[in-house]
Amino acid sequence: MQRKLISGIAGILIALFIGAIIMIAQGFNPLTTYGALFNYSLIGLFPLATTLRNSVPLILTGLSASVAFASGPVNLGQPGQLLMGALFATIGGLYLDLPPVLMIPLLLLLAMIGGAMWSGLAALMRRWFNMDEFITTLMLNMIADFLTYWAISYPIFDKTAFSPMTPQISTNGWLPVIGEFNTNVIVMLVAFGVIYFVFSRWTAGYEWRITGQNSIFARLGGCKIDKNYVTVMLVTGALAGLAGGLVVMAGPHRFLKGLGANYAWDGVMIAVVANNGLIGTLLYGLFFSSLQTGALGMELITAVPSEFIQVLQAVIVLVVVAGRGTLDILINKTISRRKAREHAT
Amino acid sequence: MNILTGLINGMISGATPILLAALGGTFTYYAGIFNIAMEGMMLSGAFFAVLGSYYFNSWPMGILCAILGSLFMALIFILFAVKLKTDEFVTGIALNLFAVGSTTYLLRQIFDVKGAFSKPGIVPIPRLNIPLINKIPFLGDILSGQNMIIYLTILLTILAAYMIFKTRFGLRLRAAGYNAACLDSSGVSTDRVRTWSLILCGVFCGLAGAFLSLGYVTLFSENMSAGRGWISLAAVILVNGNPWGIALISLIFGFTDGFGLLLQQYLPSQFTSMVPYVATLIALYFYSVKARNKKA
Repeated sequence: MQRKLISGIAGILIALFIGAIIMIAQGFNPLTTYGALFNYSLIGLFPLATTLRNSVPLILTGLSASVAFASGPVNLGQPGQLLMGALFATIGGLYLDLPPVLMIPLLLLLAMIGGAMWSGLAALMRRWFNMDEFITTLMLNMIADFLTYWAISYPIFDKTAFSPMTPQISTNGWLPVIGEFNTNVIVMLVAFGVIYFVFSRWTAGYEWRITGQNSIFARLGGCKIDKNYVTVMLVTGALAGLAGGLVVMAGPHRFLKGLGANYAWDGVMIAVVANNGLIGTLLYGLFFSSLQTGALGMELITAVPSEFIQVLQAVIVLVVVAGRGTLDILINKTISRRKAREHAT
Repeated sequence: MNILTGLINGMISGATPILLAALGGTFTYYAGIFNIAMEGMMLSGAFFAVLGSYYFNSWPMGILCAILGSLFMALIFILFAVKLKTDEFVTGIALNLFAVGSTTYLLRQIFDVKGAFSKPGIVPIPRLNIPLINKIPFLGDILSGQNMIIYLTILLTILAAYMIFKTRFGLRLRAAGYNAACLDSSGVSTDRVRTWSLILCGVFCGLAGAFLSLGYVTLFSENMSAGRGWISLAAVILVNGNPWGIALISLIFGFTDGFGLLLQQYLPSQFTSMVPYVATLIALYFYSVKARNKKA
């Protein structure tokens, strides 16, 4: 744990330093830039609330990827599952009208079903035809992208709008806002809590983790790895779908073109930096969200375009992951050297 | 007849970027690297192709810049995956996102536009009219007048097949993937072979990117590789890396690409755009069924 913390913080600092060098090369002042960046994402109630709100889709897709990678299936379909979840929640919100107490859970459920359906498709292709989920989920991403684009351009198109989007969903389906804070954070925390509990305390989660580490051992130990595979795919799909539903219900209240943007891929990235750890996913999700939220403020104050953050994120991932590997090698080397010396004496 | 030549030409130009990237991927496939960064390499190639062509007003410079841009990505991959032994899958994902981010950033920074950059100043790669052959009725329209990169691709396919199966480098390449320890113990550094395979992959993906932004169309738009790198990865896996098989698969994908365009008269464009990805799934299905039957 401590080793992870050290390598994580060191990696982020090195990455920020590399970012500073890039900025100096372009003639920007890194200190004012980083100042503006974190000023607009962390200092004050409203920036903090925005950062928290934006972190929800990142953390949920990150959680989806973490659980999937740690349990074996290489589910890279978060972008598609997020879109399908958002589409399902939007359709529910357009055609249903119930009191909020029923409406909000129902829409959240619909979003999860949408995501789980899309990942379930990949899981079925794997179970029935032995098709690698790594490629099928990627292809399903593209298909979901075009499918939702079609849906918001024709069947549920808002006729008063100029670009492809749906009308707003029923106000009963909007997530309530408490002060500055959007309640999507609460939904996310509940989902995180459930997943954390299942994954690290329940037998099911134990079986998933063991399967992820060594599927042969898990099978010989009596785990039903095929059944677990399908469950993990469905659960992770539902998580990504939930992220999509929350984006619609907390943000624009409608399905806009390019809604998912990079949330889901960023989620995969977060899972990768966090080495598939759940707590790590939560922390890195918050950190990446603060970067993305502050990006607009940074663009406002300094001349650095907000796209710079995308570059910075990728640098952080590479440096942290490479740093972790190198640190491990170094530590292992020292340990083995010490052992060798003990042996000699 | 016009529809048929259109379809065939569409097939060829749709297949070219996938084929080029997949040929690059096949080197790393044989070298035993799980390389999923073709998408990113292609994208950065496409961006630098436009940059070079626009600033130097010449398409050879465009191609050169594309190769350099793509090589830069390959060098990052080498640094992290080969030198620092970072997980290849992780490096690939980060590199793809880095490519999307940095090209979007540079697009904004250098050209001051969002979304897409297209100006008359960008010089496209010319088409090659072969005299005599272009006089042949039907075949002339297909064999002649194609983009220069397309002819280059045919040569490169032959070259790749020759290099992998007939040269000493190819033998070492396959050995690096087959049994790295054995190669190392016979005095050839696996890391060096893998480095070269990634450099070759960078060059091929750079060409693929140049074809996308200077051949297929004459512009650069954000994320314009649009999953072609993933399709080429699927193509490599489907035929276990054989260059001739890759050429065939790429042509099939190219055909679905052109077929999708043809379908646009009857279906909304969103559905026709799905065709290549659905085709990949179908191809994967047949591959899996075949693999299972072989096992049984």
